[in-house]
Amino acid sequence: MFDKILIANRGEIALRIHRACREMGIKTVAVHSTVDADAMHVRLADESVCIGPAPSTDSYLNIPAIITAATITNADAIHPGYGFLSENANFASIVEEHGICFIGPTSDHIALMGDKIASKAKVKELGIPVVPGSDGAVKDIDRAKEVAEEIGYPVLIKASAGGGGRGMQIVQERADLEDAIRKAGTEALTAFGNDAVYMEKFLQNPRHIEIQVMGDGKGKVVHLGERDCSLQRRHQKVLEEAGSPALNADGRDAIGDVACKALSTLNYRNAGTIEFLYEDGEFYFIEMNTRVQVEHPVTEMVTGIDIVREQIRLASGAPLSFSQEDVTFSGHAIECRINAESSDDFTPSPGEVHTYHTPGGLGVRVDSALYAGYTVLPHYDSLISKLIVYGASRNECLMRLHRALEEYVITGIETTIPLHQDIIKDPDFVNGDYNIHWLEKFVEARING
Amino acid sequence: MAEFDVNEAMVRKLAELLDETGLTEIEYKVGEHAVRVSRAASGHLVASGPLPAMTGPAMAPAADAGPRTGAVTAPMVGVVYLSSEPGTPPFIKPGDTVSEGQTLLLIEAMKTFNPVRAPRAGKVVEIAISDKSPVEFGEELVILE
Repeated sequence: MFDKILIANRGEIALRIHRACREMGIKTVAVHSTVDADAMHVRLADESVCIGPAPSTDSYLNIPAIITAATITNADAIHPGYGFLSENANFASIVEEHGICFIGPTSDHIALMGDKIASKAKVKELGIPVVPGSDGAVKDIDRAKEVAEEIGYPVLIKASAGGGGRGMQIVQERADLEDAIRKAGTEALTAFGNDAVYMEKFLQNPRHIEIQVMGDGKGKVVHLGERDCSLQRRHQKVLEEAGSPALNADGRDAIGDVACKALSTLNYRNAGTIEFLYEDGEFYFIEMNTRVQVEHPVTEMVTGIDIVREQIRLASGAPLSFSQEDVTFSGHAIECRINAESSDDFTPSPGEVHTYHTPGGLGVRVDSALYAGYTVLPHYDSLISKLIVYGASRNECLMRLHRALEEYVITGIETTIPLHQDIIKDPDFVNGDYNIHWLEKFVEARING
Repeated sequence: MAEFDVNEAMVRKLAELLDETGLTEIEYKVGEHAVRVSRAASGHLVASGPLPAMTGPAMAPAADAGPRTGAVTAPMVGVVYLSSEPGTPPFIKPGDTVSEGQTLLLIEAMKTFNPVRAPRAGKVVEIAISDKSPVEFGEELVILE
């Protein structure tokens, strides 16, 4: 087992990783930018190294600084968290070249899944259902028109080097196709340095359902069930549930099985999440994330499995702690992502937190690096807390979430707690009757209403 | 230190007193000699108010100190070398006058040696770091007047 792990991240996930290490008796090294010197995880870690000034490029994305910090502290492993360098295949291989363990999948798999065209082709080959589309980059406009006729309008033009919802154009009818492809290519070149675009059928009202997997790198892959992450604003997830109100145990087992078989063929290592669009009972692969995800806690609550701990164990060479038969799903969990933003118009609200009081009680978990007197910084993303609530049923969970949000006090800055309180009262949400467009419409109505 | 016999009876009596009174520690001192009996705290650690800043033994003191006036600080993480090669004299010593751009020391990161140069001409007041010690970004290296 590792003696010391360097945490190459910040905020709530850095704290999450520190906690897992601490519980395993592993020493932690917190790397941080100058402005993060007072961060919770920096204060708690066994050692800390300031690696650069505030801008991420000079600190959290600064590969030489992070590698050097690991070298001078004799860290034997690095956990990259999510975002930043977690899906940088180059970083993963540099880490391993330096004799340090990268806690995550192999560099090759990170690279494969980072390429949206290549990953889709690969998973299709492995039996995972994909959105019908151009099967590769669109190069010839006549062929593109044929494909669009085959799959049926509306279609979506997507940048191969994009992802996370960026670089997409919807085309409603044939007449608009040629322009859309040209425009998408130009925008892709500017935004991602790569003008390759591909086409997919545009699903009108899908849900976003993703499957959590863990692999031992030797062919054994287990799934930990699904999360419904349909509630998104501008392609950013706002609230997630485990399990999906739209899926039952059989549906979960079926898609989980397909995912595991596919990844087993790849000898997938460590944690990963396969994201699907789900419509009319069918799953359609969109992308795979080769890292731990923000919303991993809801899966932890319903399975009782500590995902970060398992990541560390797997990386150290231990076998998977469980087989598929050992994984059971009990109850329901919901996570609210709380941002330092106005609930009315989402204006960022950095600043000093005056009063801070977290909700408690049975089934309430708060993953946050906030404390009274901490200053939320403008330099990084606005996620400041994750409120995760568990209940024996979805109804119990909703009641508990309602209660917990009422108790949560954060003053001095604006937060999206009021938004969450409104979302969970909405009859559509209570009925689990929503898709990936629902939240945008809800927000618009709320602003106007 | 003068030898002194443990007064067993006294220690037992102090231990009894601990139990009876519910105290966690009693120290009894006569002249130069003291005996202390204490019960290990069984409670959990309670952190109230801001947590103490913790850094590893090798690292610099808490960030709120801020670098001193005239300090040349580390532009990167790495290991400091005060001379160009082992056995050669250091680049600078206290009292030296340096010109702008003059190499003060080297910082090694990922096997490359990076010179840290004087940002302006001045006199070396202090070399705040020892040879071969690891430094973090912003750590004080040299104080220039």
